[in-house]
Order: sequence, then structure tokens, then C-alpha cells
Amino acid sequence: MTHNFHKLTIAELQPEIDGAATTVVFDVPQHLAEAFRWQAGQHLTLRLLIGGVEHRRSYTISNPPGARLRITVKRVKKGVVSNHIGDMMAKGDSVEVMPPFGGFLLTPGPLARRTHFFFGAGSGITPLFAMINTVLKDEPHSVAHLIYGNATAKSTLFKDELDALEHEYPGRFSLRHVQSALSMWSWYRPWRKGRVDADVIQAALSEVPPIAQDVQYWICGPGSMNADVKAALMAQDVPTDRIHMENFGGITEQDTSVEGCSATAQITLNGTTHQLPIAAGQTLLEAMRAAELSPPFSCQSGVCGACRAVVTNGEVHMRNRAALEDSDIARGEVLTCQSVPIVNELKVQFT
Amino acid sequence: MEKMYHNLPVEAYTSQDWFDREQRQIFSRTWRYAGLAEDVPEPGHYISVQAGLNNIFIVMGRDHRLRAFHNICRHRGTQLIRAVGKTQKALTCPYHDWTYDLEGNLISVPDEATEYPDGIDKKCLGLKPAAVDIWRGMIFVHPDPNPPSLAAWFGEVDAHLGPHKPEELLEYPEARNSYEIKANWKIVVENYIDVYHLRHLHSNTLHMYDHARAEYGWKGPHYHFWEPPSADYGKDLEQNLPTPRVIPALHVGAWVPMLFPGLGLGASEDSWNLFVITPLAPDLTRIENRTKLANASSWEFSKQGMRSSRFWADFGGGKYAEHDARDADDPMASGDFTAEDIYACEQQQKSLHSPYLEIGPAATGESPITRHQQAILDFMGEPGE
Repeated sequence: MTHNFHKLTIAELQPEIDGAATTVVFDVPQHLAEAFRWQAGQHLTLRLLIGGVEHRRSYTISNPPGARLRITVKRVKKGVVSNHIGDMMAKGDSVEVMPPFGGFLLTPGPLARRTHFFFGAGSGITPLFAMINTVLKDEPHSVAHLIYGNATAKSTLFKDELDALEHEYPGRFSLRHVQSALSMWSWYRPWRKGRVDADVIQAALSEVPPIAQDVQYWICGPGSMNADVKAALMAQDVPTDRIHMENFGGITEQDTSVEGCSATAQITLNGTTHQLPIAAGQTLLEAMRAAELSPPFSCQSGVCGACRAVVTNGEVHMRNRAALEDSDIARGEVLTCQSVPIVNELKVQFT
Repeated sequence: MEKMYHNLPVEAYTSQDWFDREQRQIFSRTWRYAGLAEDVPEPGHYISVQAGLNNIFIVMGRDHRLRAFHNICRHRGTQLIRAVGKTQKALTCPYHDWTYDLEGNLISVPDEATEYPDGIDKKCLGLKPAAVDIWRGMIFVHPDPNPPSLAAWFGEVDAHLGPHKPEELLEYPEARNSYEIKANWKIVVENYIDVYHLRHLHSNTLHMYDHARAEYGWKGPHYHFWEPPSADYGKDLEQNLPTPRVIPALHVGAWVPMLFPGLGLGASEDSWNLFVITPLAPDLTRIENRTKLANASSWEFSKQGMRSSRFWADFGGGKYAEHDARDADDPMASGDFTAEDIYACEQQQKSLHSPYLEIGPAATGESPITRHQQAILDFMGEPGE
């Protein structure tokens, strides 16, 4: 995995759901094909200069491996980058893009025999859409069930593509729409009204009990949805090691209860070890950038996982850990953009 | 010199040593049929099954996923649960009431503080997991919690097993039975896959199918077999089927595979049958039969029964005419192909101890027998392993 940016050309750019989202397809030149190989669920980081200010954003690749490199960007109200992409960019433009990475990924197995439940809402569908496609194409003995929440049918990303998949794989893919704002002017009725909550989850699990017994649960939605779905699954005795999730497009609360202390850190980055001071209240990432190191990072909100490293000595407090699974944390992994030291000496290793 | 029965020593069919090694090397290392999916219908229900040396139980959690565990209390090894049942949230060993949740975690040790004054680490004393999966409406278990998937095990043979969807059929309870055969389990398997005997032992009981046109072969250790209806039966097939069809009309014939080790299926245009072989001793084998038929109304069954009655009225009979029969119970006059097979297996086993036994050459239609013996050898590895 490299964290260098490369210039890619936009091959296609088109609005989705009446302009509320934008799909961008990149051309990947031959010499970058290897670097830009991805797994379903991984994301790209874009670096854009807008009004003289550098912005970095991570967007999930919404195509399965083997297809064209594609992201789908939902507009955020007053969002600098999502609206810039929707309004200002065009086919042929060149964009700085970091190769794909991310730990929320589904690796297909040609002989794996699994039941995958996907719980998504809004633009959280993007990684799930890539995962569903890769299961259907590259994991032929497995099935996928999607429970998909949106406000309305019109605001539903990939609606036509998902319908086509359901038609193409009748025994292997099922689709359940959950919509919170039903239109009075349409006869269309989704599977359920409301949100992807505990009742909806229980109904889905008993409607399609798993045949293949290696069951995996994938969650990607905004705000508190991930935690809510996870809690609902655990209330049904789903073991946590079968639940995989990524927070998306919403606020995840930061735990700022611990202020952090000043420390000396020994940081191994790209094979070189640096000794540097961290001020009280400063994150590891901030300290490294202040020392003019070039550590990997992207979203700076704890969601993407680009900045992850392993603390081999000492202890930190993480304000947010959305990008890490419990098992990652057990291995000592931290998000440097969210970590403040709570002891005076640290050793940190980037892999 | 060791006396041989084709590829295997005759001893493989008679000795306790071979039996024990097969239990270890074959039945404890492969996926084992445990029941039909509907045997564990709801959260909290469980069943148990013997898989070689391992007793394994299967329980459904509230998430509708099955869990399998070795049926051994981590305290003194007592079998935890009985054969079949339903629980709410926990499994308690009868001996000292150690209690596990449905994830296998040890959640309660009675009198913990006084009996274990130095403490006891319940986290390390969970039930040992096994693997479980469902395929073609059947539950399978594997003693190893991380075995190769059922797709890896049955994937290649799957396409040769017929278009049946057992999960959509209904069990016919009257056909469920279990009996013992006084013969080694491999004798029973060999009888099941012997193509040559169909025209002879069953000359008067299975001739609705055309044995001369049978197609059969192997995918790994699994045997597959298909044969078309005979001319007489096939002429008015839709009328002659005794019960309503269970597969689309473009498919005809009988699919009679033998999945390793010892799981026979027998599926036709109108039924789906299980023939589960369990070795009990070197010369004793248990068979369990289950049958599934169309999910159709009793009126449709009556209608099809009436339509087909003319064909079946004149069909079949004993292999031996009545004047050759020993008595009224002679299997050779029964007109029942199962009775004929049991008789043949037991008569063969009787001779295996004779010093004058010498096995003749295998016929073309017996090639599945020698191939099955090879599969046994492959699993047994080097003697003494």
C-alpha cells in the first residue's frame, strides 16, 4: 500500500438521483493498474485544491474489483468538496488520487459458502454495492441479502442496478427497501416503512433465515445507524466477530473526555525512526505533520483508516475509532489522527 | 499372504482394528449428515449426531443461524444434552449444573466462590465448536470447526445429483424407518453402487428404470448415478408416476448417488429419498431411511395414484416364484427390493470368515465397488498412521 497521490483523468462524470449525487469514473493508465487494484469495500482519497485550500476526502469505490474505477459522491449540504465535484468538475479533468485502501473489505472466496446480510442506508450503499457485486460474481456458492434504507424511492442510489442484480441472480440476491418518507403520489410501496431498526432487522432475519451457515453481517450507514444495527444484531445473539461496519457520511461522536499529555514519541515511518515531541492535546498526526514528516492520512475524522499505525509501547486515547474493529485494537492498532498520548513515552510503528 | 477382496484385504470387512481406524480416519474427518433442515426449525431447538468418534450437537440461535458444538461438558466430559429438544437460552450439564449459553460460553458454575476459592477462568472453558452447514435441505456437521467448505466437498458432484430441491418437498412420515443389517458398512455401500446386480437381484422389482442405459461416475470420493425410465414405464410416464411430480417435466429418470462416506440418495421424478449408513460394528450397520414427496394436496396424490394404478397393478413380484420360496417371509419372494438387498448383504458377510473364500473378478458393472475401495484406501493412508 502506498500513500502517494497520482494524477488520474476523469473518464466519465454523471449525476445520479436528480443531481443529488455524482458518479465519477477514472481512467487508470497501464502503469498504475497494479497500484490501483482494489478489494470490495475499499476507498479512494482525493486531494483537491479549492480556492487555494487543500482538501482531502475519502470516497468508497462503488464498483467491484475488475470493473472500472468508480466513486459515487453524494452531495453534502454546504459541503465544499462534494458540491465542487458535482458542479465544477467534468470529463477530462485531472484529479490527484491516492491508491485504494481501507479495512472494511469483503474478500471473496471461490469455494466459500456464506450468507451475507448487508444493512445500508443513503450513500452507505457504495461499499456494499461493490461487495454485493463481488459476492455474486466471485463467490458463486454464496448468497447476499440487502436491507436498504432511504428517504424515498427517488433518493435511492443504484436503484436500477440493484433491481437488475435481483433479476439476474434470483436465487442468490434479495433486496428489501425500507423508506422513511413515502410519497402519497406514488403506488410504489417498499418492503417496509420507516428506518433500518431492530424490528426491521428481526423481520428480515426471519424472512430469509440463512441456508449457508457461515453468516456475515455488513453495515454501512450514516450517523448512529451502524451502532444501532450492531446493537440490534447482538440482541439477536449475533457474535460480534461476524459483524463488520464502516461509519459513513455522518457525525460520529468524539470522545474528548481525555485531554492527553505531552510525550516523546519514537515513530517508525517508511523504515526510518524519528524522535519527536508531542504537546499536550496534540494528536499523533498533528505532531508528525508539525515535525514535517509525511505520514499517511486522509479524512482526519477517524472514519477512513488511512492513518492507522501500531502502538508498540505506551498508551493513547482515541477520540474516535470508527475505522477500527475490536480485533484491530486488540492488536494495538490506532488511528493517529484521533490519538492523544496518555503516557509520556510512546513507540509507534507504521506498517 | 493377506487375503484380498479386490483392492481391500478381507479383514477390512471383519476386524475391529479396521473398524476403529475407519472411525478415526474417515468418519471423524469428513462432513457427516446430521438431519434435515426442518429438524431444527426454530431458535432454541437442537439435535445431536454421532460423527465418528465425536458426538456433536446443533442448536439454532435467535439469529436463525445454527451453531455446532462437541457435546462434552468442559468440567468432567459428561454429554451435555440428549438427542433432540428445545431450550430457551442456556444448556445445563446434568452432573454439576455447569451452564453454557447458545454461543458455547460457560456462563455459570454453581457455588463458584466456595468450590473454586482460587477462582476459575470461565472464559477458557467454553464448549468446543464444530462446523455446521446446510446443503440441499440437509444439515451436515464436521468435527473440525474450520473444515473445507461444503462447496469444496460437494461442489463438483452437485451438478450430477438431479434438479431436486428437497427443502421445498414434504417428508412422508410413514416412510421414515431405521433398521440394522448384519454386514460391514462397506458391503452395504457396495451393494448400493453395484450396477451389475440391478438386473439380477432386482430383476422383478426395479425394472421401471433401464439399467442398461445407466450413466455413472465419480467426483472425488463421491459416486453419481443416473438411469432413464424403461420403455414400458416411460411410454406413459406422466400417468405412471405413483405420486405427483417433484421436478420439472423435462427431467426424467432416477438419480442414485452415494456421497462419501455412506450417504445414499435416491431421487426420481416423484420422490426424494435418503439412505443414511452408520457403521455400528465390523459386522453391523444401521440404515436410516427418509422420504420426501411433492408439497401437494391429498386430492392430487389420490388422483395420481388412480392414474398410475393400472401400471403398478401388474408390476413386480418376488425374484423367486412362490414354489421356490423358503416360507412366507423369504426376502427373495417378497417383491421388496430393500429386503432383497439386505438379504444379499448378510449372505455375503457370512462367507467372509471362511478359509475357502476367494473373490472372483470384478465385472464392468462392479467398477464402482473397486473405486469405492480405493477411496477408502485414500482416506486410510498408510497403515499405522
